[in-house]
Amino acid sequence: MTGLYTRWALILGTTLLLAILTYQHYQQHLSTLSMRTLLSNPPVTQPVKIQGMVKSGTLQGDVEHGQATFEFVDGAASLAVEYQGPPLENIRELKTLVLIGRWDSQAQIFRAQDTALINNFGFVAAAYLISVMALGWMVFAMSQRVMVLFKEIKESKLYEPEADSLGHKE
Amino acid sequence: MINRIIRQIQRYKGWFGGAAAICIFLGLYIGLLASPPDYYQGELVRIMYVHVPLAHTSTLAYSVLFFGSIWYLWKRDPLVDNMCQASASICALFTSLALITGSIWAKPTWNTWWTWDPRLVSFTVLLLILGGYIMLRRLVDDRVQGGRYAAILAIVGGIDLPIIKFSVEWWRTLHQPMSFSTRGVSISEDILVPLTLMSIGCWLLFAYMVMVRTQILYLTDLLHAKKGRFLSQTHFSQTTP
Repeated sequence: MTGLYTRWALILGTTLLLAILTYQHYQQHLSTLSMRTLLSNPPVTQPVKIQGMVKSGTLQGDVEHGQATFEFVDGAASLAVEYQGPPLENIRELKTLVLIGRWDSQAQIFRAQDTALINNFGFVAAAYLISVMALGWMVFAMSQRVMVLFKEIKESKLYEPEADSLGHKE
Repeated sequence: MINRIIRQIQRYKGWFGGAAAICIFLGLYIGLLASPPDYYQGELVRIMYVHVPLAHTSTLAYSVLFFGSIWYLWKRDPLVDNMCQASASICALFTSLALITGSIWAKPTWNTWWTWDPRLVSFTVLLLILGGYIMLRRLVDDRVQGGRYAAILAIVGGIDLPIIKFSVEWWRTLHQPMSFSTRGVSISEDILVPLTLMSIGCWLLFAYMVMVRTQILYLTDLLHAKKGRFLSQTHFSQTTP
């Protein structure tokens, strides 16, 4: 049984390490900042990602050449955006998207340089957790059952050879 | 012959488990961390690295059950019967997980958890057939008779396999068409690497799980048989003057 638990501790440890690495990766490279946090506590230099929707009737500029200004809303919060970057292929009014850029606190404007699709991490995490946990648990339960069965067979002395009347075993 | 092959494979099941773990961990690492997001779907494409291998493995598992059932009806080999029983329960797990992960993927992409799409319906029918198979094995007391009935059900249910495979071509569907066909592979390399690793990992894991489950069924039979003999001997010694 010790071998089984050692093996599974190793598998669990590797899975946990992978989960931590993934979480860190998403925190560093992909996590978005809420508009409220950006406005109340703006980061000084580093670019951030914010998620929101292009407000209807505010989109102006030459979208095909990567220059646009619009109002970006997220619930009650909103901010002005000045976009300058790659051509915006799938931008339109009322479109929900993620903007990558810097907050200019003096001009009170978000200077976006790129866009990204919505992350939907909840769905991805749910799919992976359900699959990995269900398969892992099933394999663990089966391995444990084999051990228990072997132990039961061994301990129940079922393999004892039968002795005859003279005490000789078969 | 099949009996000998199964026994040989059983001997190396640890290797299958180890290789499955390595492939799955590598696939998870590349799928979650190293591969880029998709142009259209963004990060959601990562669900594909679990959903597609699970779905492929469940059809592979049912194929094993299908051919194993034919072999069992022909040769009446109890080891093959155990392997079929093991494949059915593991196939049910893989099919359920494929449906659940597919539903999770469908919500943000199709804006619904479920739709009456031919691929989804035929896959759900597969799960129902497996449910019937497992119930039949439990409900029929006579082991040999139960095995025979279940094998017939598995063979009849095999008609669902080509329906699953070609449903995306035969009917109008929301589900994406086949990526691997005689026309070639329509997936970019960035996606193909983690997908292949995870698929191989799931196939190996299925093989490992079938072997362990077959072993459990064999050991349970052995224990029951031995206990039966032990009890009858006890009974005999108590009743004999």
